[in-house]
Amino acid sequence: MNQASSVTPPPTRMSSSPLKETAISIIWLLCALFAVVTVFFILLYLVWDGLPLFNEYGLWPFLAGVTWSPTFDPPAFGILPLIVGTLLVTAGSMVVAVPLSIATAIYLSEVAPYRVKVLVKPAVELLAGIPSVVYGFFGLIVLVEWLRVTFDAPSGESMLAGSILLGIMALPTIISVSEDAINSVPREFREGSLALGATRWQTIRQVVVPAALSGITAAIILGMGRAIGETMAVLMVTGNAAIIPSPITNVLSPVRTLTGTLGIEMGEVAIGSLHYHALFALATVLLVITLIVNLGASMILKRLNARATGRAHAGRTVLESIFRHPATSAAPIALVALLVVAVIGSMGGPYYAGAALLVVAVLALVVPRLSRARSQQLAFLLIYAAVGAVLLILAIILFDIISKGLPALSWEFLTSSPRDLGREGGIFPAIVGTLCLVAGSIAFALPFGVGAAIYLVEYQRDNRLTRTIRTGVDLLNGTPSIVFGLFGFAFLVLFLGFGVSMLAGQITLGLMVLPTIIRTTEEALKNVPQSLREGSLALGATRWQTIGRVVLPPAAPGIITGMILSIGRAAGETAPILFTAVVFSQRYLPSSVFDPVMALPYHLFILTTNVPGSETNKYGTALVLIMLVVAIYAVAIVVRNRYHTTMRL
Amino acid sequence: MATIPEQIIETRGLNLWYGPCQALIDVSISVPARRVTALIGPSGCGKSTLLRCFNRMNDLVSDCRIEGTVSYHGTDVNDSAYDVVELRKRVGMVFQKPNPFPKTIYDNVAYGPRVHGEKDRAKLDEIVERSLRRAALWDEAKDRLGDSALGLSGGQQQRLCIARTLAVEPDVILMDEPCSALDPIATAKIENLIDDLKEHYTVIIVTHNMQQASRVSDYTGFMYLGELVEFGETLQVFEAPKEALTERYITGRFG
Repeated sequence: MNQASSVTPPPTRMSSSPLKETAISIIWLLCALFAVVTVFFILLYLVWDGLPLFNEYGLWPFLAGVTWSPTFDPPAFGILPLIVGTLLVTAGSMVVAVPLSIATAIYLSEVAPYRVKVLVKPAVELLAGIPSVVYGFFGLIVLVEWLRVTFDAPSGESMLAGSILLGIMALPTIISVSEDAINSVPREFREGSLALGATRWQTIRQVVVPAALSGITAAIILGMGRAIGETMAVLMVTGNAAIIPSPITNVLSPVRTLTGTLGIEMGEVAIGSLHYHALFALATVLLVITLIVNLGASMILKRLNARATGRAHAGRTVLESIFRHPATSAAPIALVALLVVAVIGSMGGPYYAGAALLVVAVLALVVPRLSRARSQQLAFLLIYAAVGAVLLILAIILFDIISKGLPALSWEFLTSSPRDLGREGGIFPAIVGTLCLVAGSIAFALPFGVGAAIYLVEYQRDNRLTRTIRTGVDLLNGTPSIVFGLFGFAFLVLFLGFGVSMLAGQITLGLMVLPTIIRTTEEALKNVPQSLREGSLALGATRWQTIGRVVLPPAAPGIITGMILSIGRAAGETAPILFTAVVFSQRYLPSSVFDPVMALPYHLFILTTNVPGSETNKYGTALVLIMLVVAIYAVAIVVRNRYHTTMRL
Repeated sequence: MATIPEQIIETRGLNLWYGPCQALIDVSISVPARRVTALIGPSGCGKSTLLRCFNRMNDLVSDCRIEGTVSYHGTDVNDSAYDVVELRKRVGMVFQKPNPFPKTIYDNVAYGPRVHGEKDRAKLDEIVERSLRRAALWDEAKDRLGDSALGLSGGQQQRLCIARTLAVEPDVILMDEPCSALDPIATAKIENLIDDLKEHYTVIIVTHNMQQASRVSDYTGFMYLGELVEFGETLQVFEAPKEALTERYITGRFG
């Protein structure tokens, strides 16, 4: 472009043949189709492998049966306790996460001075970067023990532990999506409200948050999706007893989730047995639940988008009408308060419940009578407290792992093989294995992902096909990682005969990060101003010339950021490689892609759950894993800041 | 010359910086009560910045620094003890682009009284009706008070924003190029409205449009590069400007 004015190229160089253009566009279309086809293929494959169970055992006994004992004679495959367990843990996690996240999002976008904001935001992103197996490790060693001592319970492995841990893990998702929603409320609304003499808090509560409510709703649903689909952390702290807690408010009861069941039993099941098919049927149920949740979120976000661009007079969501109607606006708060009272009552007895009820009643009487200035002070105080809690959680996790992990780090630890089941020796093969898995998965996903995004943004912006593709990408994005693992096991390991191998793990991880790459690339391409494309096309450049020379260069930092994020995600994941690629102990490095590998997250998982007396090496492994992932994310943040891309981590 | 009206807003030696850039230089102006005062001048001359000093909207700009005084009824509004919320209640503002909240028409107008503690439905109904009538929007809006304000036309939205401002019963209404996003018919309606408003309110309007300034205002201030070059009765400023710069701008030789 820059040289176009000084050098006049001969016409033949600019006009490339139409055949080549068509061929290129078909390549991108195929990439995009690959994404959709994969989703439907995964779905069909799971259903197909689950079908024998429905035929032999029946759909109703499966969904409504209260006993899950697959190894008894006769076996029972009732997943009701598992569904209840999933729902309870998820609901509990939202009680933990929603108030903290919304307060933090409000703080970040409305209250925080710039200098504090640039410190808090990376902290929240760091929380997102910690691998789930590390959360599980921390939960099992610290949180569960703390609960056991505090509540004098026989074991801390409980619904409460799962809820707290999942709540922490859902924080970053809810915070970042809500913050985006609040940020996108036009500045004019704030100015309009302040200019009328409303206080800052009144403006936030009555104008900004209501205007952002759809986005916040979507954020909560996305956080829920994350909580439902999480496997490793939940598996490690919930105790995994397949029972329905009694009474249902007994948060110290152990529970077992759908994902946890897959994580525990898939590795030990006899292939082709009824139990095997039951697990696929269970995965189908899990997938359907997450699909519904994620479709709900993306529908809300789409409608929000349509409203923001003035294309539709969108109606309100249920949540919005509840919050906005004066008579019912206090109902959700009252409901949560009652729930808290019930839980406190079931843990501590009627006296505690009475005391809690009294506190709620006093608050309900006092708060509405505060002056405007006082209620602003109170609200900001609560917001500061919530942000403080979020930062404290991060600090505790990091301090615990760093302070106990540092002594384990040594040159020998990083460069030698494990001995005595990992109690002694190092983690070298696990580091190499993780790097190989990540490199392979990106090599597989990057071309498809970038190609699909180019097709979606540059060739077809909006028609039925692209909408189907986008929905496919959304679904793929919301699919729990354990489901990828299951699919990889059944299709790659067994059906294609790869065996438990590096290649199977790479492809499985690649499928998992594909949606991240597609989405970040799409965003990066959309941020390139249309005028650049028009300028290039007006000079007689073809579409592909325009994309290659004018659109891709400024989009490159965004695409690279997306790639780095995917690397971080792939490095920390355990569930997808659990049955497809990893072994616990391996003396030699893999010699081909068909050999199994060791991997850091899996190594940490086994050390934590199966090898007593490996304290130092556990913490050392956790620290190395965190450092690896955080280093990868740090690179992404630097790239993002350097090029001022507006990518969300 | 008519009797000199009381001064409601006064600035003395006002200097303002956005980071390193000085946007206002030694501005001293006395705005008469219950009159329409227009601020004119080329883009970037500081008109809107000056306007935003009057209700301290510049507080929202993070690297903004102010020297000198802005007084409202004789009290310095930049004093740290001054209640900015109270100031903005008394000194209302209408923005360049209509910015109704994504609420119903009724809720938009009732928003101000509500945040100031009015809960009585009957009173709110009355305030809403009175404000909409004063903003000349009642006849068009009375049957659709429960509809979203975003469904109104641009001109209607701007009158709604004016009604919203009136509903908190301010003394002063600041208007920052209120017609620049509107068509000529909507503009004429707003101009008529401004004429009616000065019976009860002090209006300060920033405008790019010199015909508009001469049509609606009693006093005019001409600003250039952050300085208030000339301030006086509109007739005098337009017919017999004292400064050469003003004359050149008004006759269209630059700007």
